Amino acid sequence: MSEPEESDAEQTAPGADPQGDPFLRTRFVVPARPVAFLRRERLVSHLDQALRTPLTMVNGPAGAGKTLLVADWAAARETSVAWLTTDAAGQKPGMFWAYLLQALHASGTPLPAGIGCPADAGRTPPTLLARLAAGLSALDRPVVVVLDEYDRVTDPEIAEQLEFVLHHAGDGLRLVLVTRTEPLLPLHRYRAAGDLTEIRGAELAFTCEEAAALLELHGLRLPEPAAQGLVERTRGWAAGLRLCALAARESPDPQTYLKEFEADRTSVADFLLAEVLRQQPAATQDLLLRVSVLERFRPELANALTGRTDAEPILAGLCRANAFVEHLELDWYRLHPLFGEILRAHLRVRSPGLETELHRRAARWLRGSGALTETLGHGAAAGDWQFTAGALVDDLAIGWLFTGLRADELGELFSRMSPEAAGPAAELVRAARELSRHEVGRGLGHLRRAEQALAAELGRTTTGSGPAAGLQELLPDASAPPAEWGPAGAQPALAEARLTCALLEALAARLTGAPGRAELAAAAAETLRGEVPAHLLDRHPELIALLLAHLGSARLWAGRFEDAHTALTGAAGAVPGASTALAREDSLGRLALIDYLNGRLAGAERTARAALTETERYGLPQPSGSGMGRLVLAAVAVERDDLDRAQALLEEAAQPHPALRDPVMEAGRAIATARLHLARGDLGAALATAERTVPAAVASPWAEGQTALVVSAAHLADGRPETAVKVLQGLPDAAPACTVASARAELAAGRPLAAIDLLDRLNPQDRCGPAVTVRALLVRAQAADASGDRSAARALVALALREARRDGLRRPFAEAGPWIRPFLGAPTTRGPGTDAHPRGVRPPEGPPPPVVEELTVRERDVLRRLALTMSTQEIAADLYLSVNTVKTHLKSAYRKLSVGRRNEAVRRARDLGLL
Amino acid sequence: MRYEIRVEGQLSEALTEAFPELDHVVMSGHTVLFGQVVDEAHLYGLLARCQSLGLRVMEMRQLPE
Repeated sequence: MSEPEESDAEQTAPGADPQGDPFLRTRFVVPARPVAFLRRERLVSHLDQALRTPLTMVNGPAGAGKTLLVADWAAARETSVAWLTTDAAGQKPGMFWAYLLQALHASGTPLPAGIGCPADAGRTPPTLLARLAAGLSALDRPVVVVLDEYDRVTDPEIAEQLEFVLHHAGDGLRLVLVTRTEPLLPLHRYRAAGDLTEIRGAELAFTCEEAAALLELHGLRLPEPAAQGLVERTRGWAAGLRLCALAARESPDPQTYLKEFEADRTSVADFLLAEVLRQQPAATQDLLLRVSVLERFRPELANALTGRTDAEPILAGLCRANAFVEHLELDWYRLHPLFGEILRAHLRVRSPGLETELHRRAARWLRGSGALTETLGHGAAAGDWQFTAGALVDDLAIGWLFTGLRADELGELFSRMSPEAAGPAAELVRAARELSRHEVGRGLGHLRRAEQALAAELGRTTTGSGPAAGLQELLPDASAPPAEWGPAGAQPALAEARLTCALLEALAARLTGAPGRAELAAAAAETLRGEVPAHLLDRHPELIALLLAHLGSARLWAGRFEDAHTALTGAAGAVPGASTALAREDSLGRLALIDYLNGRLAGAERTARAALTETERYGLPQPSGSGMGRLVLAAVAVERDDLDRAQALLEEAAQPHPALRDPVMEAGRAIATARLHLARGDLGAALATAERTVPAAVASPWAEGQTALVVSAAHLADGRPETAVKVLQGLPDAAPACTVASARAELAAGRPLAAIDLLDRLNPQDRCGPAVTVRALLVRAQAADASGDRSAARALVALALREARRDGLRRPFAEAGPWIRPFLGAPTTRGPGTDAHPRGVRPPEGPPPPVVEELTVRERDVLRRLALTMSTQEIAADLYLSVNTVKTHLKSAYRKLSVGRRNEAVRRARDLGLL
Repeated sequence: MRYEIRVEGQLSEALTEAFPELDHVVMSGHTVLFGQVVDEAHLYGLLARCQSLGLRVMEMRQLPE
């Protein structure tokens, strides 16, 4: 089995998230303390206990000074602390862990190579958490991880996963949660075990002395009773005290002012904020209200919202005065979360309707600075869909709607798109959304409209119909005037939109089984690729990976295995990372299918397993990602006569990604299922499954061939050799597997010469693996046996066994019929007595003799538990049996399996499909 | 379902605007917000909004229809 590559995109490029979107680095930065910050030693020394307990919780209302307390403590520590300010509410597990891993990387915490990263926002690979916990537990000294604003994490799954990692990381992790609400963790357990350091609201509240000290830092000296009154009025609330100091400082007589404040009955924050805001110059007030729509901002962005140029000095001033604004790093700021909320309320009252305009301006500024995710968020908030869709398309980010961490989030965002939004980009986004849900008809409708809109913008007339309808619009027009080219003279108009269009065309072609159209789209994409900025393609490797996967799948449907192989290998070899994981996994699954169709089971299994590893590593939509890998493994399991396993794999692959459910997948599932029915002897079900037509634009030669194989085998098994022969005769371009099956049917129909003749015509150069060659050998052996040449038959069967061994092929022997039995129990290689083996089934590869006696139900029960590495005592308890009874069952099972030890028994039982 | 939420202090007009879906009445030393609440999610959302505005919730109860 091939090991996954050890170096990951997220490790080699620490500035980028698994999507290639620049990480919001400010989220990993320990917030700076303001100038007038008061360190409170009683809290700091309490927090020092965090180093001795796995979990620490700093819990208090907004503005209680939680974040600054922990930030101050963290900054004073010698070793670096992994800091993560969690994202907006409603975050999904995959995204959470992607950011947490990035925070660990950013803090320089050594983690095992190849730890992986989630590729789907909603899911986290369970083994990733195990790997992370193991990596942390191996650390020399614990890493302190601070999750600020943890109250925004509302998904119970994240809490569960966090609990898992915390538990298994042992002494390697010290987790500090800074939160407004009680987290969904079993705190009582930690508390009871003394594993929890807790700092709650009451402890965070300022005492009288502390309040006096804080006010002094702001230049206010208060007699004790005044400070006492203030603490009572604010209940020691840090934000209240801070605002109070600011408001009082600006008033002519601070003492009187504070007395008035004490007497006032208005809600504290409300009163103080209104007061402090009122004291600011008009320009400052305006700026504060406007930036309240932003999570974080830089002076230039603030300028874009105010339409002035004075943000830099104003923000620096506010920051110095410790009013409203917090400095993050470099020139990034944010409003104190509490004040941001109140300021937004003021903004709505003072300038109704301005919010939309502010979002629009923010989106435009962010677009220019390359922050795509935030651009889209503000564009959507402004309801400016033409712009928002355009931003996605022009960034070549359309693939994000299908794959990667933000697929759900973006899908949700664009689901709000108003039906009025027009233009090629909006239509392309609609098309992508429909196709991603397998709504092919509707997707194609939007795609046509997008192409017409593109043509209109390019000043061309649309071509009416024909095989390339719509696709010409994508290609650069050779006769077009140079005016079409951008100002730099290097870029043709709308190249990004046309490339996006080509990708969606390829996807639609793949989903409808139209290889010709896929080729046209791919050719257009190939031309356009050179005309879009290279850095966009680098930022979105998923675009080309998806394109190649679609092209390869369409070619595979057409039966052009070589060409399909080229494209699929290209997609499978895309830059590793979360955004390309789905395309890589899908392509590997399809490469495995090619191996299977060529009769090469070992290769098919290897590739399919690599696909599953990819799924697992990146936590792709469980259980199956694209599902192709599991379908191939199921088909391989049938060939190995491991029917229960095949059944389980088919069930697991039942929910493929809707955008990848193409005819190849449907046909693959039909074949694997039909073959399973066939192997179980359920001929009716096999016929029904195989003959169900897979809708597609063109017929697929191998899908037809495989269907014919199953149908003919079913007729043969049911004693209708002539029908079996006829079914296979109708095929236009028979694959070797079909020729071999024809030969077998001819032989069964009593025409051995015709059978041998067919086999002789097989080209040895043909792409045939053991699944085909072994069957051919068995037909020859059967013919030899029928003609009375037993030694030739024996030699041919022996050859077939040898050939089958490497791939673990069993099915051909099982389906051969009763004639083969004597040859399988050849006394030269087997012990005596095994000739009486009841079924023709038997593992060709190993010396252990087959099971002569069936295992009892109880023995199987015991074996199954043995396979779960349960001890004899545990098995006894689980089955309500005595230990001695379990031992008796075990002994008897060992005897029947001809083994002497536990793990041998488990392995053997697995090989035989008994587990 | 109808609810009323009593918060400490007299809310300014700007802050009551943060609860556009509720009516309010300002009393001595506290403010009562009341009105139709869509579901549980809305209810918890209102509580979170109070918290993020720095409001102190004194009482919350369901009103008879």
